[in-house]
Amino acid sequence: MSRLELYSPEGIRIDGRRFNELRQFTSQLNTHPNVSDGSSYVQQGNSKVICLVQGPMESLSNTNAGGASKLDHNGPILSININYPPFANNVRKKRMRNDRRLQELCVVLKRCFLKTIVSKNYARTVIEVNITVLSMDGGLLACCCNAITLALIDAGIALYDYVSAISIGLYNQIPLLDMNTLEENDLSFITIGVVGDSDKLNLVLCEDKLPLDNLEALISLGIEGCHRIKQLMDEQVRLVGTDLLSKKQ
Amino acid sequence: MSTVSTKRQRLSSGLKVTQKVFVRSRNGGALKVVREHYLRDDIPCSSACCQECVDYYIPDPDGKLQTPVLSDSPLTIAAENIGKHYLLLDTNVVLNAIDMLESEMAFYDVIIPQTVLEEVRNKSYPIYLRIRSICKSDQKRFVVFHNEFKSSSYLPRDKGETINDYNDRLIRQCSKFYTNHLKEAGINIILLTSDKDNIAKAQKEGIISMALDNYVSLLPNAKELEDMLPSADNFSSNVNEIKYPEYYSSSRLMGGVKNGTLFQGIINISSYNFLEGQVSVQSLPKPLLILGRENLNRSFNGDSVVVEILPKDQWKKPTNLIIDEETINKNEVGDDDENEVVISDQERRLLAQEAVKAQGSVEEEEDKKIYPTGRVVGIMKRSWRLYVGQITPHSVNGAQAGGNASKSCFVILMDRSLPKIRIRTRRAKELAGKRIVIAVDSWQSNSKYPDGHFVRTLGDVESKDAEQEALLLEHDVEYRPFSKNVLDCLPKEGHDWKVPEDLKGGDEKLAKRRDLRDKLVCSIDPPGCVDIDDALHAVQLPNGNYEVGVHIADVGHFVPAGTALDQEGASRATSVYLVDKRIDMLPMLLGTDLCSLKPYVDRFAFSTIWELDQDANIVNVEFFKSVIKSREAFAYEQAQIRIDDKTKQDPLTQGMRHLLMLSKKLKQARMDAGALNLASPEVKVHMDSETSDPGDVEIKKLLDTNSLVEEFMLLANISVAKKIYEAFPQVAMLRRHAAPPSANFEVLNDMLRVKKGMHISLESSKALAASLDRCEDKNDPYFNTLLRIMATRCMMAAEYFPAGNFGYDEFRHYGLATEIYTHFTSPIRRYCDVVAHRQLAAAIGYEPLHQLHRDKAKMDLVVKNMNKRHRNAQFAGRASIEYYVGQVMKNNESSQEGYVIKVFSNGIVVLVPKFGVESLIKLETMGDVNSGVFNEELYKLSFKTKEGKMREVSVFDKVEVFVKSELDELTGKRKAQLSLK
Repeated sequence: MSRLELYSPEGIRIDGRRFNELRQFTSQLNTHPNVSDGSSYVQQGNSKVICLVQGPMESLSNTNAGGASKLDHNGPILSININYPPFANNVRKKRMRNDRRLQELCVVLKRCFLKTIVSKNYARTVIEVNITVLSMDGGLLACCCNAITLALIDAGIALYDYVSAISIGLYNQIPLLDMNTLEENDLSFITIGVVGDSDKLNLVLCEDKLPLDNLEALISLGIEGCHRIKQLMDEQVRLVGTDLLSKKQ
Repeated sequence: MSTVSTKRQRLSSGLKVTQKVFVRSRNGGALKVVREHYLRDDIPCSSACCQECVDYYIPDPDGKLQTPVLSDSPLTIAAENIGKHYLLLDTNVVLNAIDMLESEMAFYDVIIPQTVLEEVRNKSYPIYLRIRSICKSDQKRFVVFHNEFKSSSYLPRDKGETINDYNDRLIRQCSKFYTNHLKEAGINIILLTSDKDNIAKAQKEGIISMALDNYVSLLPNAKELEDMLPSADNFSSNVNEIKYPEYYSSSRLMGGVKNGTLFQGIINISSYNFLEGQVSVQSLPKPLLILGRENLNRSFNGDSVVVEILPKDQWKKPTNLIIDEETINKNEVGDDDENEVVISDQERRLLAQEAVKAQGSVEEEEDKKIYPTGRVVGIMKRSWRLYVGQITPHSVNGAQAGGNASKSCFVILMDRSLPKIRIRTRRAKELAGKRIVIAVDSWQSNSKYPDGHFVRTLGDVESKDAEQEALLLEHDVEYRPFSKNVLDCLPKEGHDWKVPEDLKGGDEKLAKRRDLRDKLVCSIDPPGCVDIDDALHAVQLPNGNYEVGVHIADVGHFVPAGTALDQEGASRATSVYLVDKRIDMLPMLLGTDLCSLKPYVDRFAFSTIWELDQDANIVNVEFFKSVIKSREAFAYEQAQIRIDDKTKQDPLTQGMRHLLMLSKKLKQARMDAGALNLASPEVKVHMDSETSDPGDVEIKKLLDTNSLVEEFMLLANISVAKKIYEAFPQVAMLRRHAAPPSANFEVLNDMLRVKKGMHISLESSKALAASLDRCEDKNDPYFNTLLRIMATRCMMAAEYFPAGNFGYDEFRHYGLATEIYTHFTSPIRRYCDVVAHRQLAAAIGYEPLHQLHRDKAKMDLVVKNMNKRHRNAQFAGRASIEYYVGQVMKNNESSQEGYVIKVFSNGIVVLVPKFGVESLIKLETMGDVNSGVFNEELYKLSFKTKEGKMREVSVFDKVEVFVKSELDELTGKRKAQLSLK
């Protein structure tokens, strides 16, 4: 029994949104031009994430001594790393470097982006992605996914299309879009990533139990949400793009 | 410690966002709470006469559009220029006057601000649920307004402002918003609050605001409503009738329970002695005894209390006395006069006697019988609910003098283990002799009795409807008609619904059903049964084995999980059978028509088909959904006659003979395994068919065909239990019956040893069954049955549970001597069976199992409710029989045989098998009180009768008693009253 009224009969969620509304979404590109090839900052409500991309380059950068032998002849080696500092959550909590959940998320993201990057262009190269979570209020995977998309674009790496991701939860048959922490704690949810404006899913992750018969409703609402996010990201990319272009001329 | 940042950001789609930030320290560390708070304009005011908000009604995910709730012509009050108005409630009003808000007499068109709702939710979850259910039903026109999310009624919290002040300010802002918003429509807003400060501030801001009692006095039906006002805090502060010890602080209680110096448990007050309670504590082998008013310290029967153990020299044994509250405090009037008796002398005397006796026994060192005693030092959770009772006649007499002024008087509750409740009313005279419903508000430490308030009347004492409603209320049985959204879940065709002729044509689920319409199926039930759950068939197979089918009504088809219908079923959990009324779990349309396996029509069923060999061993079993057509619906007697009639040789009768033969073998096998044959003094009340007055009482008869049906139902239940446990080892819905702890039988065995030289052995259910069979008294054939009745009372109650809660060894059903058991065969009247149906359907791949029954936590809740409802239904049924037996006896005073089943030092309890009643006979009605000598060892009470002769009564004695029905003046209950001849 939840302490909170997560979704009132009047159709309002705990933070005042309706079931199909996103949280405030802002993004920035090229935030760290000097230390990385591509960088981005994504904010979904109170979840804030920075993403830095190095590459494509010939071998793994300084610390990770991968060695040339591990390079792939058909595509890039994508290394994704999530840095989750103790202050990002509402209680200070140190995470081990090899936190299992984070590593799993990295694997999921890696699989997703290997399909999104035009890999034949980047044979025998390494692309390194570092994500830092500044503050987390739900939708960790979705935030990371959106931030990576933007950073890769900023780094000039060829992608087939945008991948925009969002989490959708289920409250008694009612799908709720873009969950915050309070909702995530109590409800089971699924994160999906959509390719561009299509209905193709490039990323699906469900860590809870969800009844199969409700899945369709969740995903269709999720796709709508992803399309909206893609639109917002696209606007931002074009804004930054025109700005850069004007500076060059 | 908290701060709120007031930065607002405008978002694209008319939304604004602010942050609520606060820091809370939690055992040393800091917890940072940052919450987004979206402000919006599109929250409608829900008034039907408002044009501005029309665009704000936005469809919910199911596509349903919300509609305005508040009427455009609300109640008009002429006084004080109020005119047409809506009410806006403050938290304290909702918390204290929820009963009044629920009543149909007043309070329509009410706005509950979100701020209030949240506060209520934090303070009392049950009240929150009640207010939510009022909002849900259309008739009261209550609406929740999300004031904190509407940008025009939101206020940021000031620095240093307490949360209470902030909430009050939000509520005032909300009323201000409404006042301005509806000015044009000519509707005023009245803010009801019991906080004087808040009223003053509101009035300063131009809001009409008043206290609840002021508002009620303006209403046309003020007089009736005033009684329902919650009692004010200082109800009787000037009296100090008694000083109860104060409860410990909650931190001390928590700490004490944690470190083991205090104990928590549920208090159970003896039904024979209202000054004695027991608390079962897990860590102690024997229950703790709580003796006396002071030690009970204002606890109600069923409260969750914290107790402290008293020093060992105060340990006592349970009394052998019967103490009725009335006999002690008979003459008290609920008046707050100073001359009220503090503790009546009689009560003192009893306590003294008590003490002496206990002391004496300590010296004798009867260690075995001494119980540790304790006292209540805190109450974790009150079990308070609505109670039914009636005003004491004495308090009415007292009120007469006072005229029409509001007087306090006592209400005696039907449940005798609870104290009287003091209420305040102007209408004491009117209410006398009526069954009334009251709610308890508080129990101050300086008040001898708890304070409460009147809720509503049910009707005259002893009028049939009032008694029935009282009974249902007392046992917490939901008896109101099904609500509209429940009825909406029924098939649209109503009674015309039919099974499709062609199973293959329709959807895929239909195609999975097997067509068994050619099987010769019949049902056997009690006469007059309309909700037919089960039907049977049997044929001999070519190989000499038998094919036996049990077909159960397919309720799952009509009641999909998660719907409103399902939720209603889950909360009722069982149908309740009263003598002349049935409270259905599912709406009539399903229970008596669409689901019911009526003869001559096609019906959906869930079938279990076994192949049984000649000795009724299972060769093979199969489960599937089917369509059947019952050939005949028999009553038990009819079926018996048909089977016995040698001239009938048709296949249907043959099938029934096979069933009977197999059922006898099954029964024998079960008995050999150690199933118990227990007894309860069950009787049936015959009703006059025209006047529906109770006519006669009869003990239930058992025919062969009764056990025919029973055996196959047991077999089906066991087979299904195995199957669903296999498929869902964590959440399978099962039923268990624990072995009785030997302590339960201690007293009974001791009585048997002393009086009859017999013994009941407890090693296993088989040993128990055998030893019960051995206990025969040659001179008295009824003795064995009596013993079985008494043994039944020592048993544990069977309970439902999800499989994951126990290890497999503990699944055992002791009474039926089977390893695993569930309820599957009566889905129309039990919810457990519905769950079992769904799980079985999932186990055979018919349809996926709904989330609700896959989640262990949710199943735990369902099961807990089920067990409670099941118990309540049983009690309600028994109480109904008791009431009718009382009515029957009104015209049939007679002398009957009875058996003594319990002996106290000042009375005995006698059971009369003919009527199935048991009653207390007090010593003073039998003879000279002072001559009574109680021999505890021998369970014997000797006393001088009225005629001056010595007489001895001991347990198991057969006595002649005179039975008549008597109206208890104080409780208004008519009961069989016994007197010794």
